[in-house]
Amino acid sequence: MLGILIGKLVTWLLRLRGKDATSFPGKVALKVSPKLLHQFGKKIERVIVVTGTNGKTTTTSLLASMIQHDEPVITNHKGANLVQGIATAFLQHANWRGKLAAKTAVIEVDEATFPLIADAFPIVVTVVTNVFRDQLDRYGELDATVEKIFSAIRKTNSCLVLNADDPICRNLGLRASRKTFYYGMAHDTARHSERRQMRDGQFCMQCGQELFYDAFWYGQLGLYRCSHCDFTRPHPEFVGVYQGKTMTLSEDSLPDIQLSMPVQGLYNAYNVLAAASAARVVGLWAGPIHDGLADYIPPDGRMQSFATAAPVTLNLIKNPTGCDSVVQAVVTEPGGKIVVIGINDLAADGRDVSWLWDADFELLSEDDGISRFITSGFRAEDMALRLKYAGIDESKITIETDMNKAVDLAISYGVEEHLPVFVLSTYTLLHPTVHNLSAKARENESTNFEYRASVS
Amino acid sequence: MSQRTLNIAHLYPDLLNLYADRGNILTLVQRLRWRGIDVTVTEVTHRDTPRLSAYDLVLLGGGSDREQEIVGEYLYKFHEDFRQAIENGLPVLAICGGYQLLGAYYQLPNGQKVAGLDVLDLYTSAGTGLPRLIGNVAIDSPYGVIMGFENHGGRTIHHHDPLGKILQGHGNDGESGFEGVHYKNVWGTYIHGPLLPKNPGFADAVLATALEYAGQPATLEPLDDHVEQNARRAFLARRMPEVDIRLLEGDSNGVTAETP
Repeated sequence: MLGILIGKLVTWLLRLRGKDATSFPGKVALKVSPKLLHQFGKKIERVIVVTGTNGKTTTTSLLASMIQHDEPVITNHKGANLVQGIATAFLQHANWRGKLAAKTAVIEVDEATFPLIADAFPIVVTVVTNVFRDQLDRYGELDATVEKIFSAIRKTNSCLVLNADDPICRNLGLRASRKTFYYGMAHDTARHSERRQMRDGQFCMQCGQELFYDAFWYGQLGLYRCSHCDFTRPHPEFVGVYQGKTMTLSEDSLPDIQLSMPVQGLYNAYNVLAAASAARVVGLWAGPIHDGLADYIPPDGRMQSFATAAPVTLNLIKNPTGCDSVVQAVVTEPGGKIVVIGINDLAADGRDVSWLWDADFELLSEDDGISRFITSGFRAEDMALRLKYAGIDESKITIETDMNKAVDLAISYGVEEHLPVFVLSTYTLLHPTVHNLSAKARENESTNFEYRASVS
Repeated sequence: MSQRTLNIAHLYPDLLNLYADRGNILTLVQRLRWRGIDVTVTEVTHRDTPRLSAYDLVLLGGGSDREQEIVGEYLYKFHEDFRQAIENGLPVLAICGGYQLLGAYYQLPNGQKVAGLDVLDLYTSAGTGLPRLIGNVAIDSPYGVIMGFENHGGRTIHHHDPLGKILQGHGNDGESGFEGVHYKNVWGTYIHGPLLPKNPGFADAVLATALEYAGQPATLEPLDDHVEQNARRAFLARRMPEVDIRLLEGDSNGVTAETP
């Protein structure tokens, strides 16, 4: 109890100073009461845990947003997914006597933290989004991560919601031997080209023989089967057909649901599919799932779309790993497109832009649909050079160092060629670009309205 | 024209891959392919034995102190072969940690010495209480202006020729006004940002030297480098105001092994 009191006090003091801490109150409270999470665990009725390498924060926010239409939810929605962050989320929903304002919690948990909190809560559902290697050079990391998730699951009585398209998740499901629901993308939406960045899950985790892929989505996500044993991608209970702005969710004998995507990109489609599947498993019907998606506000620069004269999607890039997933999301968008890449090298961006050479811009050269590239920012010329060495035809590359002008140019090309625009930008260019695009989107809306009014 | 081919070895990419070495390799490979020259890149991991006689050019990248120590141990077993090969003209491009490894030792702030390959008369010390040398850098070299980014704690002292004279930035030790090393066909430098894409003249000089070492015609036909020249001019104009941009006027395409 003392921990809760002190934690509340710290939260309150921080709020007085206008600060919204996501971890610090929990950290202090845990110092005083190391069993704080167990105390909260006794007061809550059900906890849904989301873990995995990528998409934890988005999936958690989407699921919490859906459940919130039925009942209040405790969630660590800012991605503070270590023990302190989880404790802080509960403190914020507790009164001074430790009583919680909700019966359900949706918690994002870091893979390594999961075993530490697994026996503290009545976890009813565990969602594992995917297991990717974070960085190339961290050997052993992947197996250790899988073991951590597995050991945590064994401490719970939860059922599992797993990504069927990820062989590592599938293996986890087989080993955990408990009620498991799989979600996956529809069979015929996978691509048939072999991707060279597939680094993980190349071998069967049951018998060690090579895995064969009939098709891929991205990374090791695909239609896999073992060459030797019966390990294969299971038929998912929840099937997604991703159509860009919308996704159809099919579930066995139930009628299909059309979901409108609040965030674009194939990796976000997986997040939406994971959240909707988990929502189904905890008993939600289509209404709150729709409403939850409609309410969700993605953070700036995460496949953020703008209703400009040619539609623009904005992405933050800041390091090779994150940049690779953004580039992947752009090339997996069907159809033609125009790409703007803005690179600044101010202190907040990192003054060293060497990472541009570690990121997989080569993927862009494989997308024949990209008709033009515009590079911008203080390092526009360096980016153009990077694209040249990535194998992109120089005649497709335009340099416009002023980011606003670069975006304007891209939109005018987009209108002319009827193509959407994808903007990738480093940190210091992101917010000015959000501002610029928001203004343009408003302008576009009002002109459209006038136009419609004059003809009706 | 006779079919030319070049074998490049990237030593220990599993340990020394801290900074954009991929950019350097990509530049070498593309500039050969654009000229119709075949190229293979062999990644020599810490489990492999380097076969120095099979390579026409060796790349050593940068790593952390700990990784450098491991590489030092692996490679030291072959240091006599390595020295012999270098004396016989094996082209070696060593960046940052790889550059430090060419010397006798790297002395950590606590006084401990991490042994290097000892193939050059060179040593590095971290120096207590001294700041890291970080930032954009440009040097005047026999290959024209070489530019990029440096980020190193070590101060390197040697008695060979430098790679170039500092125009802006810190260089080997932050004091001498020189950057890098050039001995026989070995080039060592702290410029990693990454070194070769924005310095095509130097990249071609390295390639020409490697072709000559491989016993093949070393003349490289010029490439259209206007994207490179654009990036060079913009970098100097925006990030290296102390450097006279007119120094770039001499940039030319097509380099043979005879120059410098």
